[in-house]
Amino acid sequence: MTFRTFTLLMVSFALAARSTAQIQINLDSLASKAKESVEITLDSSMLKMASNFLSSEKSDDAKVKSLITGLKAITVRSFKFAQEGQYRPGDLQPIRAQLRAPSWSKIVGVDDKDGRRTSEIYTKTDQGKIVGVAILSAEPKELSVVYIEGTIDLAGLANLGGNFGIPPISIPDQKKPKGKE
Amino acid sequence: MVSGAIAREADAAGRGNFSMNMEDQLRETLRRRDPTVGFAERVAARAQSGHRAKPVRRLRGLWAASVLALAAAVVLTATSLWQRAQEERAGRQAVLALRIASEKLSQARSKVLWRTENQ
Repeated sequence: MTFRTFTLLMVSFALAARSTAQIQINLDSLASKAKESVEITLDSSMLKMASNFLSSEKSDDAKVKSLITGLKAITVRSFKFAQEGQYRPGDLQPIRAQLRAPSWSKIVGVDDKDGRRTSEIYTKTDQGKIVGVAILSAEPKELSVVYIEGTIDLAGLANLGGNFGIPPISIPDQKKPKGKE
Repeated sequence: MVSGAIAREADAAGRGNFSMNMEDQLRETLRRRDPTVGFAERVAARAQSGHRAKPVRRLRGLWAASVLALAAAVVLTATSLWQRAQEERAGRQAVLALRIASEKLSQARSKVLWRTENQ
């Protein structure tokens, strides 16, 4: 009986620890195959440094500064490949498995018929606030994972598009719908 | 009368003795004497050690303080520059990370909109 109670307690602690733990993204093996890769890992101290650097007077900097104020961590892994088939769809499975935790919800999941293009957005909420975002995006020659931990303004993040010289997004081989906010 | 004369003579004799003693003492005191053996060397050694060593010590102290101050200034400047470089790097990475996040978010939104409109 005592052993059973102890086991239950340990399992509870493990589940609690898992729910608060950061998402682990291990795609290092893809970097060597990629034509271009972006690997960014910023913890809270680095984000504080970034905030010190960003100017409150410049419009673009001020937007980023405002967005990163409540953040604890940002992790980005983005790979562009010269040819198709350089990564396996299964490479994202370990990340998806972590995002199945009860605190995470999949709010967007779009994929084409053959599953070569997928976009998934997951959010983690706490008391009605978004405290984590994970974006998985896969194209035939591109794979990107973004994980943001902390209080994030999704609308503000989406509105960064068009700043920093980001061109309007178009979907290859498809008609782009007229911009709706 | 006689006794008075004797007393005066005795007094004069006493004064004469006193002045004689004073003269002898002064003469003895002011008599030229040779310095003790090694006096000149001791004076020269003292003059050398006393008058030259102190400024050298002071200069050495000033040098040490200057070098320490310079080293501290270099370390502080280097730390400040390194800190600034780190901040700049972190800032650029944060901008790039949020740019990618925004781009992927917009892509997903566009796909959803496209699919909604075409269904």
